[in-house]
Amino acid sequence: MTPPEPLDEDRTLDSSIFRRPPETTNAESGPADTGRSRRPRFHGDAGTLFGIHVVNVLLTLVTLGVYYVWAKTRVRHYVFGQTAMEGDRFAYHGAGTELLLGTLKAALVFGLPVLGLNLVRDVFEVPDPVKAAAGVLAGALVFVFLPVALVGGRRYRLSRTSWRGIRFSFRGHVRDLIKIFMRGGLLTTVTLGFYTPFFQVNRQAFLVTHSYFGSRRLEFTGRGQDLFSPFMVAVLLTLPTLGLGWVWYVAHKRRYFWDHTRFDTARFGCSVTGKALLALWAINLLALVGTLGLAWPWVRVRNIRFAFSNLTLIGPLDLGRIQQQAQHASPFGEGLSGFFDSGFDLA
Amino acid sequence: MMRSPWPAFYLDGKTAVRHTATLRLMREGLEISTGNGWTCRWLYREIRQTQGFYPGEVVRLERGGVHPEVLVVSAVEFLTSLRKAAPDLGRRFHDPTRRATRRRLTVLAGAGVIAASLGIYLWGIPILAALAATFVPVSWEERVGQSALSQFAPPGRHCSDPQLRAAVNEVLETLTAPAPRSPYALRVSVVNTPLVNAIAVPGGHIVVFRGLLERTRSPEELAGVLAHELQHVLRRHATRAMLQGASMGLLLATISGDATGPLAYGLGAARALGDLSYSRQAEGEADADGMKMLLEAQVDPAGMIDFFEVLAKEEGARPAGFKYLSSHPMADDRLARLKNVASGQRGTPVKLLPGTDWSRLSKLC
Repeated sequence: MTPPEPLDEDRTLDSSIFRRPPETTNAESGPADTGRSRRPRFHGDAGTLFGIHVVNVLLTLVTLGVYYVWAKTRVRHYVFGQTAMEGDRFAYHGAGTELLLGTLKAALVFGLPVLGLNLVRDVFEVPDPVKAAAGVLAGALVFVFLPVALVGGRRYRLSRTSWRGIRFSFRGHVRDLIKIFMRGGLLTTVTLGFYTPFFQVNRQAFLVTHSYFGSRRLEFTGRGQDLFSPFMVAVLLTLPTLGLGWVWYVAHKRRYFWDHTRFDTARFGCSVTGKALLALWAINLLALVGTLGLAWPWVRVRNIRFAFSNLTLIGPLDLGRIQQQAQHASPFGEGLSGFFDSGFDLA
Repeated sequence: MMRSPWPAFYLDGKTAVRHTATLRLMREGLEISTGNGWTCRWLYREIRQTQGFYPGEVVRLERGGVHPEVLVVSAVEFLTSLRKAAPDLGRRFHDPTRRATRRRLTVLAGAGVIAASLGIYLWGIPILAALAATFVPVSWEERVGQSALSQFAPPGRHCSDPQLRAAVNEVLETLTAPAPRSPYALRVSVVNTPLVNAIAVPGGHIVVFRGLLERTRSPEELAGVLAHELQHVLRRHATRAMLQGASMGLLLATISGDATGPLAYGLGAARALGDLSYSRQAEGEADADGMKMLLEAQVDPAGMIDFFEVLAKEEGARPAGFKYLSSHPMADDRLARLKNVASGQRGTPVKLLPGTDWSRLSKLC
């Protein structure tokens, strides 16, 4: 069946959009928008996510794992489509096919070499120096590709995410992150771990300040020294609290990171507390252990709702000034990050 | 063919500004008006739906290539009208009335997941692991075995009494003589530790602890233990357990979606339970084939049965809940199966180590 031919009238009307765009007077969220506080909202439910998950698992088992890339994509489509800011839903634009190609490429460039080197080190009958060399080489591959996966994965995900039709993007360079990793790794070792909060802040600054919504960059004003005393308190309380004190540090860090993140003339605010975070994690853990992992969709939804209920964007926003400025991003990085088990949540 | 207008939002794909609009379903396409006189028409065949497939989602329509224009309609009924207006292209748009069918199919898929997981767990993984184990070189098993051995049995604790060693080696040779040549260099060491246990380390080394040796009342009882442990080596149970463990991890990671964070702990528990069950299967195999080994070597099977009965009595003192979690099959079951295999015995068994005083020999460590 051939689709009906377009009417001439349709053609004229089609092109009209380029000549006569809608007037901004009819638009919402103009410059008049001031000082309000906005909160993201999640409209989805765990039951639907569970249904999607069940079908995903079946197809992944039947295809011996190949469907995994589509499964991941479908879940993101759902989660993003059910997340709203200012009443408008986010959208995820990734496709399973491109992710499959990215994953295959990552397997070829990274997965197979590392597997081969590990086989040489642990299984094959070769002289000891060869084994040692293979081990060092495998370690070096992981060290180099971890930042590549971090940056590439973020680049891919943000480029496939939009709100109000405007794409996000990540424009950081891998070499900068490798520098941060090398410096951070070295200084953390030399200072017996006390450089950790500075390392964490540097990493976060890199990830945030190279993230864009359309043409507009996110800003980050955090400083490592601000996290140093909470970090010290957590270190000192490790033994008396049997390590639970670190939950408070994580909560503090999360608050600090969001509170020092700005977008345009607005800033984020985060109200997460250690107690609430501990309760969230404890219940999540119990649910997952009790159901052997089946409660995963509920846990995911709980995490998202928790994060959103603690997150606000405060201050005026001039959305009219934000232009589409999408960036190209290959699915290779996302495929690669699949090998590093980096869980990606909106939260 | 005018119908009542639908309220919607229009996004132009160039700025983040949202425009309120109304939509009319026309014969060839959607007519969009933003209220200040601006109108535009999208042909139905240019439109793709990207959201609005699940309850709670809004309907999102897109037109255009890389940075499409977007229409957002919150009323899901719009889809039904849209499908009616474009009957030829109905398949491009989600049909909300099919959601109940989809739910039923999802329940079916759930049943499929359970069936597939059980199938993989019960047959797929054991068969694959057995197959894959044949590709693992013996030299690798030997290396793994060596490092395990240095933990369980540090060299200084090996019993070196020549009489005892000769006796143990004779039992070992009697057992392995009728069997086809194996790629393993089979050895038995007695280690001076009070544990009542014996271990087969990968690569062919069997460790018998002094505690167990002292409990045996005849060389036939020791032969029973050795036959069982030899089967662990020959059937590559350790390698298979490793492969099974890894595959279980993969299966569980698939079922649970994402194996990061706290989920890893939950999965760890599930995997441990699954591994235990595989380990019970391996014990059952080692029992049955160990007994066959005894029979082929013309060793009296009563020794193995008697000795396992002694161990079973000690196990009987444990509460029932622990037995399920034990890596060994239920004692009664185990004995019954041993006796069943032993009943296939033909001819008179040959006495092992005739003329030796076993009760003295077994205390020489």
